[in-house]
Amino acid sequence: MTFDLDLIILYLPDIFRALGVTILLWLAGSALGIILGFVVAVARRYGPRWLDLALFAPVELIRGTPFLVQIFLLYYGGPFIGLSLDSISAGLLGLTIYGAAYYSELWRSGFVAIPKGHIEAAQCVGFNRTQTLRRIILPEMTMLLLPSMVNMTILMLKETAILSIISVPELTLAVSALGTKHYAFVEGFAILALIYWALVETCSAMGRYAESRLSKYRFAAS
Amino acid sequence: MTGLPAIKVEKLVKRFGKTTVLNGIDLVVERGQVTCLLGPSGSGKSTLLRCVALLEEANEGFIEINGTPLGFASGPNGERVRLPAAETQKVRAHIGMVFQQFNLWPHMTALGNVAEALVTVRGMPRKDAEQRAMAQLSKVGLSDRAGHYPSELSGGQQQRVAIARALALDPDIMLFDEPTSSLDPELTGEVLNVMRDLAESGMTMLVVTHEIGFAASVGSKIVFLDQGKLIVEGKPEEVFGKPRHERIDQFLDTYLDRGAATLL
Amino acid sequence: MSWKLFWLLVEAARLTVLLSVISITIGFLLSSLVCAAVMSTNRWARIGGKLFVSFFRGTPLLVQLLLIYYLLPQIGLNVPSEVAAIVGMSLCTAAYQAEILRGGFSSVPKGLVEAANMCGFSKFATFRRIRLPIAVQLTIPALISEAIMMLKSSSLVSVVGVVELSRMAQDLAASTYRPLELFAAAGLIYLIINLVVAGFGLKLEKRMQWGRI
Repeated sequence: MTFDLDLIILYLPDIFRALGVTILLWLAGSALGIILGFVVAVARRYGPRWLDLALFAPVELIRGTPFLVQIFLLYYGGPFIGLSLDSISAGLLGLTIYGAAYYSELWRSGFVAIPKGHIEAAQCVGFNRTQTLRRIILPEMTMLLLPSMVNMTILMLKETAILSIISVPELTLAVSALGTKHYAFVEGFAILALIYWALVETCSAMGRYAESRLSKYRFAAS
Repeated sequence: MTGLPAIKVEKLVKRFGKTTVLNGIDLVVERGQVTCLLGPSGSGKSTLLRCVALLEEANEGFIEINGTPLGFASGPNGERVRLPAAETQKVRAHIGMVFQQFNLWPHMTALGNVAEALVTVRGMPRKDAEQRAMAQLSKVGLSDRAGHYPSELSGGQQQRVAIARALALDPDIMLFDEPTSSLDPELTGEVLNVMRDLAESGMTMLVVTHEIGFAASVGSKIVFLDQGKLIVEGKPEEVFGKPRHERIDQFLDTYLDRGAATLL
Repeated sequence: MSWKLFWLLVEAARLTVLLSVISITIGFLLSSLVCAAVMSTNRWARIGGKLFVSFFRGTPLLVQLLLIYYLLPQIGLNVPSEVAAIVGMSLCTAAYQAEILRGGFSSVPKGLVEAANMCGFSKFATFRRIRLPIAVQLTIPALISEAIMMLKSSSLVSVVGVVELSRMAQDLAASTYRPLELFAAAGLIYLIINLVVAGFGLKLEKRMQWGRI
């Protein structure tokens, strides 16, 4: 069980490339998931009733089943319904849909959490529905939802590791492959864990910083 | 023990960060008497009560309960010396407290709340504790609600259970921190009546309250605090009767109504 | 899809449930210790506890499972993959549950602790009779959610060679060339298991209702 520093330096470029894929998939998946989730949440809350019911099933299905099974379905089952994707595309699509289901629930909880009084006050000064949404509801919600959104985004980072199982060239796959090649599994996975840990802690710290900066907009109401 | 005041507070100073909330308070509460602490918000009256209860530790000064130092004693050079926890606990056992928010334990029934300390702290068998608890609940008029959980009781009922809980431990001093401030107006009467009965039975009480009527009729001594200092103290007739200290006039105007000061 | 295939999936699902239940239980016991450490007055206990929680919540379960799977033999513990899986899942869920419990304890209204203080309760008695029961009731919904999360995450133990539901679905999909049906069926089974747990959780919450705190 030796720790070969030269070996690590030799493979640094490969590891960085894989890290790049991980971060790209993570950020793109999260961003797309947040947007898609928002669309779904708005459709469910402000759209016709049948749309709410229609979207209920897929959201609950995605939230109630493992991400791994969803990815398998997409990647291995996709071709059978004409959807032949390479691993990275399947990974991004899977991550986006998975994220969208969870983010949409967060958005929905945000819509409900704003006191009716704030909305009534907006209507009394003459805002129409779009203005109320844009100037009152969205800013207040962003503040309320920041902690849970950050949490979910961190979760998304951890889920990207699962994409290694369908051979997406991301961080976990790269380090596992290295570990296998040099028979240094434990060191490899230990370093892998540390890298994710560092990413997660950085993201958490940024989230906490953002929260503290926005804290002056907290509700004054008791 | 006879002849010694129930509570003696000497030059008490309490700071929270940069703010000085209590600025050198001297107070004596005599045995068997009801002392009421009045004053505007932020005057330090709740803090003073909590220091006597040792829920907060003062920065300077000393407190004696029945002549025994509470929490800290005066060292040879007058400095504060922390007393061992066991000693402090013994002194605190003489004090019972009733909170503004009742603070009943939600996972126990009314009977459970009153009996709990007897079982857990005094080591009484549960059957005996529950008997004592029932007797205590009857005294506050709630024996028929003994099996109910706090969430099923009104505010006034909860506060009465809280009083029974404190009394079950046989304290000789009872502290009340704005006991009726969280109650709907119709419910304050039932709690004040219990407190009135308690006073008549000879209990030593230190009460922080906004109920001026109660303070004037039941209180033996009124203590008026403002901005951490003791402004006026004396019998109700002395404090409320004319000629009044101008701060009391201001206080009455704020707390009763504009112009109330001229009526009374 | 034939009944035979579906039944094979259901049988594998039994292992999924078994592994999850064992891990969640061990995890709960462990999380109580970790939570006690995080809230303790001992500086080293606090640091150790916080590190544990931070690490197991800050790294993917997949990586944790792989690490433990390869680490155990290296330190002389040659255990079957199911045991490695349980170790990995237990540690992971312990960290999440410890965080949930900690949140529960900090939500206990301070006034209730002060009342116990005034009645003469020792710190331990306050913990045992007041803080613990109230914290548990407050955290049951979150703990049930965590249990459901663990059931879903158990799918990852397929990569360390445990033939639970996901692995069975994979193997059958490969041999029958019918990934759509098999993964859909597997997904359905997971969904049903989760609905059952969620229902159980609701019943549990109702049983422990003494009303709002």
